[in-house]
Amino acid sequence: MEQDKLSNAILVLSCQRRDESAFRELVNRWEPRLYYYLRRIVENESDVWDTLQETWLAVFQNIRKLQDPLKFPTWLYQISHNKAVSLLRKENRYTQMTVEQTADYCENNNTVSAVNEQAELVHKALGKLKLAHREVLTLHFLEGFSIREMARVIGISEGTAKSRLYYAKNELHKALKGANHV
Amino acid sequence: MSEPNGKREFADNLLAQDPPSADKQLRHKEVILKKIERRMCLQKAVIVAIYIVIFLAAFGAFNLRKCTDNVVHSICWGTVSLHILLWSLVYILRGICMEMEGLIEKRLGNDERRRNKNQNLFLTIWAIIVFVLSTWLLYRSFFLTNALKAVQTAVSILWATIFFLIFYPFRTASLIGKLWLEYKKMELNDRT
Repeated sequence: MEQDKLSNAILVLSCQRRDESAFRELVNRWEPRLYYYLRRIVENESDVWDTLQETWLAVFQNIRKLQDPLKFPTWLYQISHNKAVSLLRKENRYTQMTVEQTADYCENNNTVSAVNEQAELVHKALGKLKLAHREVLTLHFLEGFSIREMARVIGISEGTAKSRLYYAKNELHKALKGANHV
Repeated sequence: MSEPNGKREFADNLLAQDPPSADKQLRHKEVILKKIERRMCLQKAVIVAIYIVIFLAAFGAFNLRKCTDNVVHSICWGTVSLHILLWSLVYILRGICMEMEGLIEKRLGNDERRRNKNQNLFLTIWAIIVFVLSTWLLYRSFFLTNALKAVQTAVSILWATIFFLIFYPFRTASLIGKLWLEYKKMELNDRT
């Protein structure tokens, strides 16, 4: 994890110096994850590719403004989130991204370790959740972002991110149970 | 298996559930990298053009020095020298930062990127040499002819450099420090 973080930071520094090979590597490294994340938000595949393209162009244009290269993953997902949201807004599909009740979040490690071997089930269950829940869970599972980082990516308060993740996990748990019964 | 590795494995399995089709991914990468390459070239061309204009203007002013006011003349050359001096500083810091990056790349065992870094470092060293030489030439060609002007400009350069020193190097130095800390953390993790 530490190595990934450092090697990403170094790639970012090279990109800030306009090193083309570093950009290539950065795209290679992050594209599958961004694709998966965007697919959970934007349904149409061609829209996903368009959003990805806009994301990378924005990354290229603004990477020099990124002061702390160690924060690149959060920054990248933030750009990606904004691009996806503006696309959904254009198509009036961005309806339910602001939630919800406040509740104390408790990390349920058992749930996480129980589903560890069941990526396929989780993937299918994610499709049954609502957009806001799907998004936080994708960020949680893919990148292991902290509450603060998630809040930054989505542009919500930490409290909201905390409760959203809590409810999303509950919903996922229910969906998984339902899948097991079937 | 450690917890972070388990999480990474799970994330990889999750990604494998909905991978992008290879064809589309390749096409998309080609398009995006071509666009980025084009923009990169354009930016470089703009920067080179700005540099050429600045230097041509400076040399133009130098050639017209008999008919220009002394103060204007001295400000003009002061600015050019300051520009060169500050860029030298930027490159020196960049060199240190790249040295640090090279150290980390070596540790991570990424040979290709390390080679690339070495090339960049080589270019940086050349840039520093060119800047130092051109500054020296400027001083010889102009400032040595008028000692008073040389002193006045030197004071301006000193102040501007100090002002600049507060901002850019502080940021780069803190970045170097951060990278160093992360590097040490990684080393410690490897040992334990």
